[in-house]
Amino acid sequence: MKFYWITILAVLFFVAGCKDDDGPMDCTDCPDQDIIVGPYEPVSYSLEIPEWINAQPIIPTDNALTVDGIELGRHLFYDPILSSDSTQACASCHIQEKAFTDGLNVSKGVLGMTGRRSSMSIVNMAYNNDGFFWDGRAESLEAQALLPVEDHLELNESWENVVEKLRRHPDYPQLFRKAFGLEKKSEITKELAVKAIAQFERTLLSFDSKYDQVVWRNDGEFTEEEEMGKSLFFFEQSQLVNHPGCSHCHNNGDRFFTNNKYFNNGIEDVDDLTAFPDYGRGEVTNSVYDNGKFRAPSLRNIELTAPYMHDGRFQTLEEVIAHYMSGGHGVENEDSNIKMFPLTEDEQAAMIAFLKTLTDEQFIQNPAFSNPFE
Amino acid sequence: MKKLLVLGLISLFLMAADCHKEDVDPNDNSITLTFKGKYDTEPLVMFADEYSYEEGMNVKFQLFQFYISKIELVQNNNAGVEKVTPLSDVELVSFKGIVDPAEAQQGISFTYKDLPDGTFSHIRFGLGLTPELNATNPSDYTPPHPLDDHYWSAALGYVFTKIEGNVDFDGDGEYTNEGKITFHAGKDNLYKEVSFPIDWDIEDGHVGPINFVVDLKKVLSNGPTDFLDFRDITQDHTNNPEVYETISNRLKTALRLE
Repeated sequence: MKFYWITILAVLFFVAGCKDDDGPMDCTDCPDQDIIVGPYEPVSYSLEIPEWINAQPIIPTDNALTVDGIELGRHLFYDPILSSDSTQACASCHIQEKAFTDGLNVSKGVLGMTGRRSSMSIVNMAYNNDGFFWDGRAESLEAQALLPVEDHLELNESWENVVEKLRRHPDYPQLFRKAFGLEKKSEITKELAVKAIAQFERTLLSFDSKYDQVVWRNDGEFTEEEEMGKSLFFFEQSQLVNHPGCSHCHNNGDRFFTNNKYFNNGIEDVDDLTAFPDYGRGEVTNSVYDNGKFRAPSLRNIELTAPYMHDGRFQTLEEVIAHYMSGGHGVENEDSNIKMFPLTEDEQAAMIAFLKTLTDEQFIQNPAFSNPFE
Repeated sequence: MKKLLVLGLISLFLMAADCHKEDVDPNDNSITLTFKGKYDTEPLVMFADEYSYEEGMNVKFQLFQFYISKIELVQNNNAGVEKVTPLSDVELVSFKGIVDPAEAQQGISFTYKDLPDGTFSHIRFGLGLTPELNATNPSDYTPPHPLDDHYWSAALGYVFTKIEGNVDFDGDGEYTNEGKITFHAGKDNLYKEVSFPIDWDIEDGHVGPINFVVDLKKVLSNGPTDFLDFRDITQDHTNNPEVYETISNRLKTALRLE
């Protein structure tokens, strides 16, 4: 009889032991190895945005920033676990020292496979309101982060495999629990993975360049050459130059240096609108008039993001300015603002000197943005 | 038995009629404003269509857009007192995406719901932005919003009207870089109120649409002796009052009720 009661008590203790300390848990249907134990104490994270930015970042209501969500995203961003042969991570093509570009004309994926387009700088993405990628095919950062994993020219892996690897990993289940409060490894999904990556990417803000210091903080001053470059860059209001100015597209309240719109900026000399080697925005909208259009990228940290254009055809800023001075090729959907204009050598040098004031050393050295595995 | 059947049918009919009545919400009045672009007598189509301009020039357009703001329906009582029903603070009338005649025929539409019953004598709005709206900036708005773009930080205001395209100066079919035109106008004193008589009773549901036609040729030209000569000027970004004021004034006259 005594043995009978002891047995009952032992069974009760065993069942109670299955329960998670941090919440009720029914273990009858789940194997022990599926359970993730550990704390889930979400701490919301506020982006450090200078007052003068005067704009609200775009953060989806179903993916609020948390300290642990960002940390998980940072790990995933730098981890080659997302690729088929464990050699490439997001960070392989988005290197912090290069303002999260890779220095190549077009990016290389696993097994050295050559991609279609140049790696875009990941900067101030929290303010991008008009699609992601050069052609805007992803509507959100979360949707963007889904695609490179299964792109055969990028990470060339299936999400099914990635999720399985993450579930089996010694650390990731804990990180997912901390970030999203999961109770089982089987609850790890690609949707949560990209939410975490997007959270990390939204923290990649660059508002501490010399331009910001001089213009917005009244701290320091431009050199004479930089000042001349600035007046040329913003010469939209000038009556002296018959050109709308770089700021026409690379602007947004003098803060973001892009309007996030899509343009044919005159780099391609084609006979008709179906002859572009890369249709760009046209692939997304299926409008022939959008063929050859690509996003105007932010010029923040432009000094670090060579080569330039969606196909990396220009190696230097000098080449870029020479292109714009030449005025394009007159293709039917070429933007009307691409028109020939003269600049002296001194003026070109001044323009480049000004563009270099957009380099943000804090951004490329910020340890919070760096590889957590080093 | 027959009587019973007839009675039943009548009851069913009455029930059905009653159900139908419930589907109509007497307060669900709506109105649609549609803007159709024209170039003289032709539908205004971006990119593809070529239009004859003055002095043998031809032009293809890439963009024609303008803001309208403070859009209101107005009722007048017998004493001449106005009762105003606001429809919207601001809209962007943009023909950017109109790339074929069918789309041009459809036009750009804005629908407003939950309007009160009443007899409305006219509709009015401002071409451009009210000074209050023009004092805001894109960071004040959550995209998508008409005012989340088209802002000139240098001028601390919005571009009210944009006209962009390509000009063939001698009509030989050649469009060169020299023929790219960009006319952007925007500043507080370019805001102009316009009013159109409608004399409409609105009750019991949908009314409309109210169709407006805007003739881009009239914005650029007032005839063979008074036109914006692209051979002399291909760009103005609110630099030359003679140009931007002309464009703004003519936009007002180029807009009419269909």
